[in-house]
Amino acid sequence: MIRFEHASVTYPGGVHALKDVSLEIPDGQMVVIVGLSGAGKSTLIRAINGLVPLTSGRVLVDDEDVTAADRKHLRRIRSRIGMIFQGFNLVNRTTVLNNVLMGRLYHTPTWRTILGRYTPEQIDLGMRSLERVEIVEKAYTRASNLSGGQQQRVGIARALAQDPRIILADEPVASLDPPTSHVVMRDLQRINRELGITVITNLHFLDLARQYGDRIIGLRAGELVFDGSGAQVDEKVFEDIYGRSLTADDVLEKRAEL
Amino acid sequence: MSAALPDARPTRPARSKLVWVAVALFLAMTAWSWDGIGFSPAELVEKADNARRIVDDMFPVAWQAWPVLVEPLLETFRMAVIGSVIGCSLALLVGFLASQVTAPNGVVYGVSKTLMSVVRSIPDVLYALLFVAAVSIGPLAGVLALVFFNVGVVAKLLSETVDAVPLGPLEAADAAGATFVQRVRAAVFPQVLPNYLAYALYTFELNLRASVVLGLVGAGGIGQVLRIAQTRYRYDVIALIIFVTFVIVFLVEALSISLRRRLS
Amino acid sequence: MAVADLPRSSDARPRAPFPLARRSLLLLLLVLFGWAAATSGIPVERILRAPAGIWNIARLMFPPDWAYAGRALGAMVESVHIAWFGTVIGAALSLPLALLAAKNVTGQATSTGARQVLNAFRAIPELVLAVVFVAMIGLGAVPGALAIGIHSIGTLGKLASEAIESIDRGPLEAADAVGATWLQKMRWGVLPQALPEIVAFWLYRFEINIRASAILGVIGAGGVGAVLSNTVSYRRWDKAGMTLIVVVVVTLLIDAVSGRIRRRIISGGDTSAEVAEGEMVLQAGA
Repeated sequence: MIRFEHASVTYPGGVHALKDVSLEIPDGQMVVIVGLSGAGKSTLIRAINGLVPLTSGRVLVDDEDVTAADRKHLRRIRSRIGMIFQGFNLVNRTTVLNNVLMGRLYHTPTWRTILGRYTPEQIDLGMRSLERVEIVEKAYTRASNLSGGQQQRVGIARALAQDPRIILADEPVASLDPPTSHVVMRDLQRINRELGITVITNLHFLDLARQYGDRIIGLRAGELVFDGSGAQVDEKVFEDIYGRSLTADDVLEKRAEL
Repeated sequence: MSAALPDARPTRPARSKLVWVAVALFLAMTAWSWDGIGFSPAELVEKADNARRIVDDMFPVAWQAWPVLVEPLLETFRMAVIGSVIGCSLALLVGFLASQVTAPNGVVYGVSKTLMSVVRSIPDVLYALLFVAAVSIGPLAGVLALVFFNVGVVAKLLSETVDAVPLGPLEAADAAGATFVQRVRAAVFPQVLPNYLAYALYTFELNLRASVVLGLVGAGGIGQVLRIAQTRYRYDVIALIIFVTFVIVFLVEALSISLRRRLS
Repeated sequence: MAVADLPRSSDARPRAPFPLARRSLLLLLLVLFGWAAATSGIPVERILRAPAGIWNIARLMFPPDWAYAGRALGAMVESVHIAWFGTVIGAALSLPLALLAAKNVTGQATSTGARQVLNAFRAIPELVLAVVFVAMIGLGAVPGALAIGIHSIGTLGKLASEAIESIDRGPLEAADAVGATWLQKMRWGVLPQALPEIVAFWLYRFEINIRASAILGVIGAGGVGAVLSNTVSYRRWDKAGMTLIVVVVVTLLIDAVSGRIRRRIISGGDTSAEVAEGEMVLQAGA
C-alpha cells in the first residue's frame, strides 16, 4: 500500500509542484493520474520511489517511510518498485537483455555488475520478463535497433525483472503512435490483473485514462482535485480537472467527442 | 546610366574592430617572439654551408647499423604497450570522477578536474626527466611518464564524453535501486565504450611516437640510441632512426585507422 | 504471483551469441601486455621502490625556491616565444600545402600526393627534428622554433585541407562562371569560408606547441626544458619544483585564454555554441 500524508514538493525556484496531497493506494490497483502538463503528475509518481524528495509531509510504501529513508534503505524500497519512462531510458549501445537485467541491479553484487557476469537465474528471470512482453527473440539485439514500441516493452520488461510489487509509469505512451500505445497499455493492464502488481500511470490522453484506469486521480496545479473510479468520470469531470474545455489534443483517437 | 541614386549606395562598413585588434595582437606576438628567440634570416643563410655538411653526413644512411636498433625498438614498443594499458585503465577511473554526470560529489569532481588539467600541462619528456631522477635510468621511468601523460589525455576526453551522455538510463538505474558504482557501470559505461576505445587507440599511437624520444633523457627505448648518435656526430645513424620512426608511425597509423573503422 | 513463477515459453529464447571479435581483441591485448611486461626487464624490486622514490622527490620540491621564480619564468617565456614563432612558421607553410591537399580545390592525384607530404612532416617528432637542426645551426631557440614549425605543418595542413573540403561549393562555381584565376578563386571563394576554422586550429596547435617547446631545452634547443634539466641533474629540487610550477601555471593560463578566443572565433561571437573539442583533439593531436 502507498500512502501520501500531506505531501508537498517545492522545487528550487519556488515552483509548488505538489501541495498538501493526501491519498491511499491499496495493493493491486490500476491507477491513472491525469492533469495538465505542469500539474504535478510526474512529481507525484517520482515521490513514490524517492526520485523527487518531498519538501514536507510523508510518503509511505508498505508502511516504510520513503521520505526518511537513508540511501541504503531507499535502494531497498526502490528495488520493489519498477519504473517505466516516457523516453524509455534504455542504454542504446548494449543488448536488450543487458537493459532488462538493469532491473536486477539491487540483487546483484557490485563485482558481478562490473564484470557484466549475471547468474543463470538472473538471466532466466530477464528472459521470463521479456517473454511476458513478447519480445524475447530480441534479447541479444542492440536496444537502438528496436522500434519505439519495442523499446517501451523492453522498458516494461526491465521493470518486471525487478519482481516488483508496484510499477510506476511516467507518460509511458507519450512517444508512441496510437496502435502501439494500446499494446503498451494492455501489457500494463495484464501485468496488473494477472500478477497483482499495483500500476500507477500518468497519462495525458483522456480516452486512454478512462479505458485503462480502474481509478483516476486528477491533479491541478499540484493539488488533488479528483479521485474516483474510471466509470465515474465523464467529459465534465475532465474539464473540471483541466480547468478548461477539452480539445482534440486531449484524446488519442483524434475525434471531437470523448 | 550614370544617374544612379548615389544616396542609396552604402559606404563601405569599417571592418569589425575586433578583427583589427586580433591582427595587431598577432603581429605584436610575432614580433615579440621573433626578438625573443633571436631569429635572424641572415644568420640562417650563413649557416647554410654547415647545414649542407650535416645533410651530406646523413647520407648514405647507416643501414648496416640496424641490428643495434632492434632491442631498443622492442623496448620502445613494450613501453608504449604497458604505458597505454595502465594509463588508459587509470583514465577510466579518473574520467568518471571528473565528469559532472558520474562524480560522487562536487568536491571530487572539482579536485579531479583540476588535477587532470595540471597533469596535462606537463609534457611527456618532462615527466620522463623527473622519473629518471626518481627511479633511475631505464624503461620504468619511460612507462611512468607515459602513464601520467595518458591519464591526462584520455581522462579529459572521456570525461567530456560522459558529460554529454543521455541521462535517462541513469534515472532508470536509480529507480531500480542501483548503487553508485552499478549506475556508472550499467548505465554510463556502455554508452561511452566505443569512444573510450577510440581514445585508447589514439593514445597508443601518441605513446609510440612519444617513446621514440623519451630515451633522450634516459627513459629507455630508441631515443637512447639517438642520444648516443648525437653525441658522436653519427648523422647517418640519426637518418636511419628517422627512417625507422617514419615506418613505425605509418604502420601504426594504418593499423589504427582500420581498427577505428571497425569500432564505429 | 511473482514474475519468477511465470511460465516460460522456452522455444523462442535466443542463445547468447559468442562475442568473437571482442574476445579475440581482448585476448590479443592480454597477450601483448603479458609479453611486454614479461620481457621488459624491469626488476620487480625497482617497481616496488618507485612510489617511495617519486614521493621522496615530490617532497623535496616543496616548498619551492620562490627566489628562482624569475629565472624560471624567463625561460618559460622563451618557450612561449618558440611555440608562437614555430606555430606561425607552421601555419604559413601549411596553408599552400593545405590548398593542394584539398580534393575540391585540386584533383585527386595532387591531393593524394600533398597528403603524403603532410603525413611525412607529421611523422617525425619535433625533438628528433630539433636534434638535427641544432647540429645544423647551433644551440639555441631558433632551431627549436624551426623544429616545431616543420612538425606542425603536418597536422595544420591536414586539418586545414579538411576544413577547405567541407566548404560550400556554390561560390567556387560562381568564381569559375565569371572567369576567375586560380589565385583569385582561392582568395575570394575558399579562404573566407574556411579561415575561421583554420585560425582556430592554429591557436589549438599553439597550445600543443607550448608543451612541445617546454621539452626542447632537454637537447639544447632553448626554453624552460634546459632549466628543468639542469636543476634536476644538480639535484636542486626546490628550484626544479619552482620551474615545474611556472610551467604548469603558464601553460594553464595560455590554455584558458587561447581556448576562449578559439571558441569565440568558431562560434562567431555566439559563446553558447561549443566546439566538439574531443573530435578536434583526436584529429589535431601530436
